[in-house]
Amino acid sequence: MDTVTLTIDGRSITVAKGTTVLQAAIEHGIQIPYYCYHPALGIDGSCRVCLVKIEKMPKLQTACSTLCADGMVVDTQSPEVVEARAGVFEFLLINHPLDCPVCDKGGECPLQDYSYTFGPDASRMDFPRRTFDGEGAGADVDFGPTLLINRNRCILCSRCVRFMRDIDGDPQIGIEDRGNGSHIVTFQDKGVHSILSGNLMDVCPVGALLARDYRFKSRPWDNPIAVDTVCTLCAKGCSITAWLRAKPEWAKGPRLARVTPRYNPQVNDYWMCDIGRFEYHFTESDRRLRRPLRRTDDGVLQPEGWRGVLARLREEFEAADTPGERRTIAFLASAHASIEELVVLGQIARALNGEGAERQVGVSWRVSEKPQPAGTKFKVPRVDAPNVAGAIDLGVGAPPLEDGGPDLSALKAQVEAGRVDVLYVLDPGPAGSIGDLSWVIEARAQGRIRLLVVQGVLMTDLAAAADLVLPGATYLEKDACYTNEQGIVQAASRAIAPPGDAMEDWQILVNVGAALGAGVAWASTAEIRADVAAAMPDRPGYADLPRLAFAKPAIARTWLQTSNPSERWKWDALFKDLPPVKFKGKAETSPRRDLDD
Amino acid sequence: MDPVLTSHIREPNGHTLEAYLRRGGYSGLRKALSLPPGEVIEMVKASGLRGRGGAGFPTGMKWQFVPKDSPKPKYLCCNADESEPGTFKDHVLMERNPHLLLEGCAIGCHAIGAKVAYIYIRGEFYHVQRVLEAAIEEARAAGFLGRDILGSGFDCEIYVHRGAGAYEAGEESALLESLEGKRAQPRIRPPFPAVVGLYGCPTAINNVETLCNVPLILTHGPEWFASLGPEKNGGPKLYCISGHVEKPGVYEASMHVTLRELIYGYAGGIRGGRALKAVITGGSSTPVILPGQIDAQASFDGLLKAGSMLGSAAIIVMDDTTCMVWLAENLLHFYRHESCGKCTPCREGTDWLLKILHRIEAGDGSMRDIDLLLSVSRNIGGKTLCPFGDAAIAPVVSTIQHFRHEYEAHVREGRCTCPAEWREMGNRGPGARA
Ligand SMILES: Cc1cc2nc3c(=O)[nH]c(=O)nc-3n(C[C@H](O)[C@H](O)[C@H](O)COP(=O)(O)O)c2cc1C
Ligand code: SF4
Ligand code: SF4
Ligand code: FES
Repeated sequence: MDTVTLTIDGRSITVAKGTTVLQAAIEHGIQIPYYCYHPALGIDGSCRVCLVKIEKMPKLQTACSTLCADGMVVDTQSPEVVEARAGVFEFLLINHPLDCPVCDKGGECPLQDYSYTFGPDASRMDFPRRTFDGEGAGADVDFGPTLLINRNRCILCSRCVRFMRDIDGDPQIGIEDRGNGSHIVTFQDKGVHSILSGNLMDVCPVGALLARDYRFKSRPWDNPIAVDTVCTLCAKGCSITAWLRAKPEWAKGPRLARVTPRYNPQVNDYWMCDIGRFEYHFTESDRRLRRPLRRTDDGVLQPEGWRGVLARLREEFEAADTPGERRTIAFLASAHASIEELVVLGQIARALNGEGAERQVGVSWRVSEKPQPAGTKFKVPRVDAPNVAGAIDLGVGAPPLEDGGPDLSALKAQVEAGRVDVLYVLDPGPAGSIGDLSWVIEARAQGRIRLLVVQGVLMTDLAAAADLVLPGATYLEKDACYTNEQGIVQAASRAIAPPGDAMEDWQILVNVGAALGAGVAWASTAEIRADVAAAMPDRPGYADLPRLAFAKPAIARTWLQTSNPSERWKWDALFKDLPPVKFKGKAETSPRRDLDD
Repeated sequence: MDPVLTSHIREPNGHTLEAYLRRGGYSGLRKALSLPPGEVIEMVKASGLRGRGGAGFPTGMKWQFVPKDSPKPKYLCCNADESEPGTFKDHVLMERNPHLLLEGCAIGCHAIGAKVAYIYIRGEFYHVQRVLEAAIEEARAAGFLGRDILGSGFDCEIYVHRGAGAYEAGEESALLESLEGKRAQPRIRPPFPAVVGLYGCPTAINNVETLCNVPLILTHGPEWFASLGPEKNGGPKLYCISGHVEKPGVYEASMHVTLRELIYGYAGGIRGGRALKAVITGGSSTPVILPGQIDAQASFDGLLKAGSMLGSAAIIVMDDTTCMVWLAENLLHFYRHESCGKCTPCREGTDWLLKILHRIEAGDGSMRDIDLLLSVSRNIGGKTLCPFGDAAIAPVVSTIQHFRHEYEAHVREGRCTCPAEWREMGNRGPGARA
């Protein structure tokens, strides 16, 4: 690789040819502020806060747009730079509402942080501020179904415009008017309608673009615990961070504050879709299953202890018409089931129904169309489940149909023919993600199925039709692995505990296996993964399973720190409480309050 | 010097192809097509022609920067946005001598290897667009444009594109954006338009007057052209003289001419015999200078030496009734309105400057406001994405530099100390004539 060597602030730095001064500084922990630059949205050169001095150049240059060259000497600390930068920061704030106390971004806002570090101590602006739609949080106005915009806070970095144009592929955002009246708009004020809209809140370096879902919900310092994990709401498997509130004992409400995307160049870059970002809420739904349930003789689902439901299951399974014989049992798993869960389920099927029975396990998922612009850089898959590829690789279930949907024909035929006494369904995903199972409900209602067992997380129509309901855990409540549509095996980590008496699904399955005499004897998911690895030594993704690391909740002061590595340096540096680079000329910055002197 | 660019502008129907041919028109193009492109560029270089759009960059050199071996199409763009306050020369050329510009465009295209030229005219120039389009039709019909021009095998089309009326659209990279149908906001450079210009292709951008000089160079030779003016400031030059003079208008002269000759000779002196107070030498973006400096040569280099610039050669003359705070306020009103808003210092700073100026002019300012003006100007100057920011602060900085006492008087007395009655006339301003 071709490299160039330059000097920044007296440090000799070698970087790949084609690197900009700003990127070089970021890579080496040298502080140069920036707003309009974003690693995925390119260079705009408009915010002007990245000004640096480059030897032999008469004017200050923007670091974001200057390529490193051999022998280049860059100074980010000279009085000229410090003053110019402070001047730009003063400009950025002269019309800014400074309503940080009611702004969602407050506490993790690059405008706040950079202004404290590089801006002047005080503003000399004493005219009324420019406002667009009102004052304070009253200026938060409609910007589509998922977003609000506060134009007073906007610094016109145009990241949002470029995100829609370059990543989403549909340039719905533009700037109207010009000069001092410039403001962000959508065509005919229709708002942003995109499955990627939540990312706009991430790219906005101020609190101008707000997600309705997160608005006023939390302050960043109240959710300081982060768990790096993987979203499982579709086949893509974006890297995400789940944010937990450090809530005091008496506090009510959910522990999860939000999920945000985490940089992963292989899968999702800096982005995630709105389904993953906003629909994780099903994990904290009122309809969560918290205790095992059993249908009583009067036909009502009643809470029951784990011991009780398992005993009941065994009874039902063994109470065959001819003593000593068992009832026939069939299995149906959602592709939301993890690799570990599918392995246990496959093993139970084999033990009860014979060699090769794991292939008769029905694996089901939903396929839904998600219209996106043709040129989008972030395609959200049609398959609403994280582990279709994992099921195929493990040999559980039948291969998908040509349209990408599940092939349940064999199981359906068996059920229709009345050859299934007990149907065991594993459904740890959000409601409906297992696909249309009305035929199962129907078969149970008409008695073609004698016993319907549902291991799931929500009181869905299916669970409501079941005879036994076993409460499992969602993807945020267990350590488990999934294989995404690219064939990458990924680890999703446990961020919170399952609610009530709910248990991690692999554990439930092991217990069910024991109750049915299927003899499954794994003591941990690590053992399961080790077995999978041993069985697939020539599949690197699987062979490496034992080395996959699960994240533990960690202290992270801001999402930037865990999401965007090019922002991470900044937080690392800022939180060290370095003496900020301050504007020296005191007289220049003293606030001007008296009009006459 | 006898006028060469504007010699026939008063002739009835002087703008027609017939009249143009009678004056020997299109002989420059004929000559150019008989030469290889490189030689045309060499001739333009030898003539010393410098851009008339404002910066005075050597035109031959600009053309040479257009890569010859690029596989992409190349474009010539004629900057006819003419929006700098005080500037009104280009539309005279386009209206009264359109074929001269078309010929210049065709020669330019031949020189850089382009087949298409766009004339980007200011949004308000409806009538000019009509004249140009009629002239293009005439030229096509006569075989000076279109396919296989004059049997040389060279193809060239010229299109007129009318902007939406923005000063910033005259900035070359903003012009390209606007031509592409986007907001007229500048691009970050490098890459320069010569390499990555219109639709990402190599592009040369030249002012109207610049291109109008090109046929003269081909017809009369580079030596003749250079000999018209002082060294490195060759050729004829159009001056737009406005303000408090007896005869405002467009005048053609050699760059040997001094400001004094232009003001007191060509323009007939100060209106009503009053005293001269200050002169803007090259459009509102250039610093004002004092009467003591008007013996400077009105050339690129002469005015640079006098502390200002030739710019677009828009000379705005102000007599002793002109309030310099008002002048700065008036111009900042323009710059604040025309800032494209892309970059922070200009978007925020021009508005702030205007507010402070307004306060001082209204008599509500303080002494600190004057330093604040300078400090805010310093925070804009050299920090912006395009030269607009530097242009915007020129009136503020130069009026404070030369007339600080006037600002101080406004503050001290709490009122405008120079409230000329003509200001009541509204925006038509000084020297407005029917
Ligand atoms: C804010 C701004 C406005 C400008 N407006 C014009 C204009 O109206 N006409 C023009 O010819 N050049 C204008 N220019 C200069 C052009 O950017 C460019 O330098 C010129 O068109 C080059 O032509 P020339 O080399 O023939 O002078 C402007 C520059 C700036 C920064
Ligand atoms: S809304 Fe945010 S992202 Fe968009 S231009 Fe304004 S500050 Fe930048
Ligand atoms: S200086 Fe900045 S805001 Fe002003 S016109 Fe140029 S790019 Fe636009
Ligand atoms: S980051 Fe360089 S100008 Fe905005």
